[in-house]
Amino acid sequence: MSEKLTRRDFVKLTSLAAALGAGTKQADAAQNPTGWIDGQRVERIATNCEMCFWRCGTIAEVANGKLLRVAGNPDHPLTKGRLCARGNAGAELLYDPDRLKYPQVRTGVRGEGKFQEVSWEQALDLFAQRLTEFKEKYGPESVAFFPHGVASSFFGTLMKAYGTPNSAEPAFAQCRGPREVAYALTFGEGLGSPEPVDLEESKLIILIGSHIGENVFTSQVTAFAEGLSKGAKLIVVDPRFSTAAAKADYWLPIRPGTDTALLLAWINVLVAEGIYDKPYIEKYASGFAELAAHVREFTPEWAESITEIPARTIRDTARAMGDAKPAVALHPGRHVTWYGNDTQRERAMAILTALNGSWGRKGGIFLPTPIKAGKFTLPPFPESKRGRADGAGTRFPLASEEQGVTNGLIEATLSGKPYPIKAWVIYGQNVLESIPQQEKTLKAMEQLEFIAVVDILPMNQVNYADLVLPEASYLERFDTPAIVSSAKQPYIAIRQAAVEPMYDTKPGWWITKQMANRLGLQAYFPWDNPDQYLETVIKPLGIDASVLRVRGAVAFPGRPYIEDRTPEDGPLFPTESGKIELYSPMLKELGFDPLPRYTAPAEIPAGYLRLIYGRSPVHSFARTQNNARLDSLMAENEVWVNTRTAKNMGFTEAQRVVLENQQGATSLPVLIRLTEGIRLDCAYMVHGFGHSSPRLHLAYHKGASDTQLMTHVEVDPIMGGTGMRVNFVRVLKENA
Amino acid sequence: MARYAMVIDLDKCVGCQACSVACSEEWEVPIGEARTHIRSTGIEGTFPQLMSVFHVAQCNQCDHPPCVLPCPTGATYQTESGIVKVDQSLCIGCGYCVEACPYDARYINERSKKVDKCDFCSSRLERGLQPACVNTCTAHAKFFGDLEDRGSFVFSAVYEKHARRMENSMAAPGPNVYYLGKAAHLELVQARFGPRAPRLTQPGEVWKKLVKPLVLAAVGVTFIGQAIAFFYQLHTGEKDFEE
Repeated sequence: MSEKLTRRDFVKLTSLAAALGAGTKQADAAQNPTGWIDGQRVERIATNCEMCFWRCGTIAEVANGKLLRVAGNPDHPLTKGRLCARGNAGAELLYDPDRLKYPQVRTGVRGEGKFQEVSWEQALDLFAQRLTEFKEKYGPESVAFFPHGVASSFFGTLMKAYGTPNSAEPAFAQCRGPREVAYALTFGEGLGSPEPVDLEESKLIILIGSHIGENVFTSQVTAFAEGLSKGAKLIVVDPRFSTAAAKADYWLPIRPGTDTALLLAWINVLVAEGIYDKPYIEKYASGFAELAAHVREFTPEWAESITEIPARTIRDTARAMGDAKPAVALHPGRHVTWYGNDTQRERAMAILTALNGSWGRKGGIFLPTPIKAGKFTLPPFPESKRGRADGAGTRFPLASEEQGVTNGLIEATLSGKPYPIKAWVIYGQNVLESIPQQEKTLKAMEQLEFIAVVDILPMNQVNYADLVLPEASYLERFDTPAIVSSAKQPYIAIRQAAVEPMYDTKPGWWITKQMANRLGLQAYFPWDNPDQYLETVIKPLGIDASVLRVRGAVAFPGRPYIEDRTPEDGPLFPTESGKIELYSPMLKELGFDPLPRYTAPAEIPAGYLRLIYGRSPVHSFARTQNNARLDSLMAENEVWVNTRTAKNMGFTEAQRVVLENQQGATSLPVLIRLTEGIRLDCAYMVHGFGHSSPRLHLAYHKGASDTQLMTHVEVDPIMGGTGMRVNFVRVLKENA
Repeated sequence: MARYAMVIDLDKCVGCQACSVACSEEWEVPIGEARTHIRSTGIEGTFPQLMSVFHVAQCNQCDHPPCVLPCPTGATYQTESGIVKVDQSLCIGCGYCVEACPYDARYINERSKKVDKCDFCSSRLERGLQPACVNTCTAHAKFFGDLEDRGSFVFSAVYEKHARRMENSMAAPGPNVYYLGKAAHLELVQARFGPRAPRLTQPGEVWKKLVKPLVLAAVGVTFIGQAIAFFYQLHTGEKDFEE
């Protein structure tokens, strides 16, 4: 059908689909357009959210240039009008009185937070002058770039054009890296974000450490709840009784760090009992015989002694997979840098997904449908003769060169190897809270000749900057549109300014273009304004910019399952063999285990608990603690300790305690939560609290930072990820 | 006439607070207050045999609202479709209704000094919209509709799936917020968050809380007036007197 369709038909078809969509359930935009409400004219501007990175569709309601509120956009194909607590609290970010308001140059010592206000002209001139100096004196590679968020794509282009290959974001080595590498090794491509897990059609959902509900990405929560509501069974593997565990048919409170043993035992049962998807494996997979031989010894009894999950439960849950296959949604997780062997654990998950026949199947993992957005013709980027400093592609052979290895860049800055790094440009990334081993990061920053930070709020790293550029928030700026292929209906969604930038803040695209002009790199930015940029991006899609601006998003037909694929989608499994590689020749060639193996985590020292961490539904990372509305819902985190463990330590009621890790690092005082909802050998806290920047008036010193307690990491040799669940804490009385 | 009701599926609810924030933003609720509260029962049981449920609390738009009668000015009233509303122009912020509500669903807005609470987003309903919390609910756990409409989700939830409402021996005012969920979960929520007895204000308290301050204020105004007159006379009165 799609071969015969002309573009004109296609446009008609998609706009018809969109109109039909608008006519159902939540027809907010259609019924409630821009108009007069209670005596004031309310503009409704469709844009997308950046309270986290999921980019849910939002409507900003504006009257007289003032933002009234942010709500969900019912026309958005992925989120359909739903929006989480953080998204709904967008106005409190815009009107946060602590925002960075003017460009600033440091006058005090690093970390002190003393700055002098300067004009944009002065700030950008200084920035360009310094970058030019570094290029001449040390070469462009001496400048490292730490981006985060979509606005950073413009700046990413600038840094590449400037000539540095050294760019790294925590999204890889502190987050999704192991899973992207493991799934790409197995299926030929990674999962991307949002990860295409078909939760709403699933018959069996399996979460390993994922705590959907506390970790909220709107559409994922919707799909999860819909799936359960339609009868999906739920297996939750988590040392803690999470919100998801409270809804589970099977809660497996596993001994932390032993997940690979459980996964291997599950694979053992599927193979031994012959309840895997045989036709699927025969048709699509290679290396089954090697896998079967490899897992023979990994029986449920073997795993029971390691994981503390009864062998019988392991068998029962494996059989539940056999019954539900291929509609088994084994969630690959997101933050999966736990123990340093994470790529191998994710490989075991990918293999299990294959055995269940769920890749490309309804209720399993669905397939992305690429959409072809327009691209600019740019001059080639200069090639660095010295290569990357972070070890991506060399020391860490399978690390992403697109996303880089943050900890690799920090190491290089400290050691001066393979060559000196002299300056950092940080764009919206919280380098102190999102990367473990804070001491190293601080030491590296002290050595630098120059640090420039582009941000919205005075996060702690801002206090260490030589130059601070205040960016306009996502509600005040245009960003590169979201082009999302990993949705059942791929879509393009716009981010556009709902209100004028406040104070003397500027959008990222403007800052970048100004810098390009000063550095003589204009050719890499062949557009004058957001309108021109947008026109080029949407041209091949055959949609009208005005439609996109009004509706916020336009969706296209998707081909999510194997049976929907057409030749234009390319090979189903773009591995080297063209098959699912259960056994990985590439890992073998690189000297790693071609089939995953369980490696035991370090034992917990006596008197200590393993520190684990996670998320709250009302906060994103360390980004939202200064938001007044969200602060009112959760101002600080608590440390969960099992009631019996706490009693043995002398704690019988909630009180403030201090955590001290195995290397003597201590936390700020934090409330202890005595609960039955966690294993006896762990302590759990929500990440992102205990801010150390006094310029964040609401968030300052509320709760404790888990990152401060991560003085040790186990690095994944395959991709450079930092395993972060390898620290242990003792619980001390506050004034002991 | 419509009979509006809300159904909340606790099997789906993940306690994410989206409904509470959407509501607060929609109604410009002061920071720290809320019309919609998410509460957790906490984790019950002994590891690893555990249970935990979220409960969403808001005005129940009761059939027999205990908050209407105590209102001394008639600001709190019930519409024909069953929604209980507060006429802000009549409310004096005395707080009797706050005491009377067995669900603690009302609060005094610190900015306006008047009582505020959920009214199923009445003004949105008039514009053909759903309540803000229903629209935003990430788990799609909140449903709004008309119990007179046999085709509605709320009708089937209430009359076919036997959704429960929070009533007990302390208070049974006929609430119109219903809950779906596992029986054991609903029991726990009922035990933990069921209604309290309405605290009805006695006539004597009306004097103490409302009339007395008014009288005191009047006395105060009179006293200040007299004092001003007295000092005025001290300065100028003698002369006048002489004349």
